[in-house]
Amino acid sequence: MAKKAVRKKEFRLPSDLAEVQKASAKVLAFLRPLSLSEAASFDIRLCLEEALINAMKYGHGLRPELEVRLAAEYDDESIRLTIEDHGPGFDVDKVADCTQKSNLLRGSGRGVYLIRQLMDEVEYNAKGNRLTMTKRLVGPETKRLRKRE
Amino acid sequence: MTVKSFEKDGVAVFQVNGEINISTSPDLKKHFEKLAAKKVVVDLTEVGYVDSSGLATLVEMLKKTKSQGGSLGLAGMSEKVRSLFEITKLDKLFPIFASQEEAVTRVK
Repeated sequence: MAKKAVRKKEFRLPSDLAEVQKASAKVLAFLRPLSLSEAASFDIRLCLEEALINAMKYGHGLRPELEVRLAAEYDDESIRLTIEDHGPGFDVDKVADCTQKSNLLRGSGRGVYLIRQLMDEVEYNAKGNRLTMTKRLVGPETKRLRKRE
Repeated sequence: MTVKSFEKDGVAVFQVNGEINISTSPDLKKHFEKLAAKKVVVDLTEVGYVDSSGLATLVEMLKKTKSQGGSLGLAGMSEKVRSLFEITKLDKLFPIFASQEEAVTRVK
């Protein structure tokens, strides 16, 4: 069976919120050969920016000298983004469900929730400082993800 | 992001153009706090992107308005921005209207 061709790019970002949008623009440019639909690009950008903000803010306390590692890769079947910080990590299961009536007015927790809803697979390492999220390009969702030929 | 604010039929309208994200949402909050209005419409027709900080800022604006006995409505969301409100169930919290005109009529 032929091996899937994987394209990969890595970035190291200072923990500075001004870097977040620059990084997402670079990742979307890297993914351009996939001809993603506007909606899919929106989802990927949002999830990536939410993850980077969390890593910089909660993982590194916005200390610019601490770098966040970002890896973006894709093949014919999926896009995978990995975001890793040097912080103590967190227990994602302890993040309150922002959609519960009693939590709707809370200010936080929506970023993690949006990532879980908009990506197809979301995985944290045991320490909770590395997040890998996957968007599938094949299967019933393909038409919605890619622009019409 | 730019914010144009004006009064229409006794309602403070905030017409936002651009993105409401972690960098721009403090500006929206400042505009809102400057007017301290009781009846508010935030027109999102020209907003193409909102992140969780933007959602949190809008929730904060709603909370402040309600705590003063007022009301706040959102108008003119794109399909994609609206989907974020639906996913996070914030569509149950905010009155959402198709247009600024409708929002002003209902909020006043």
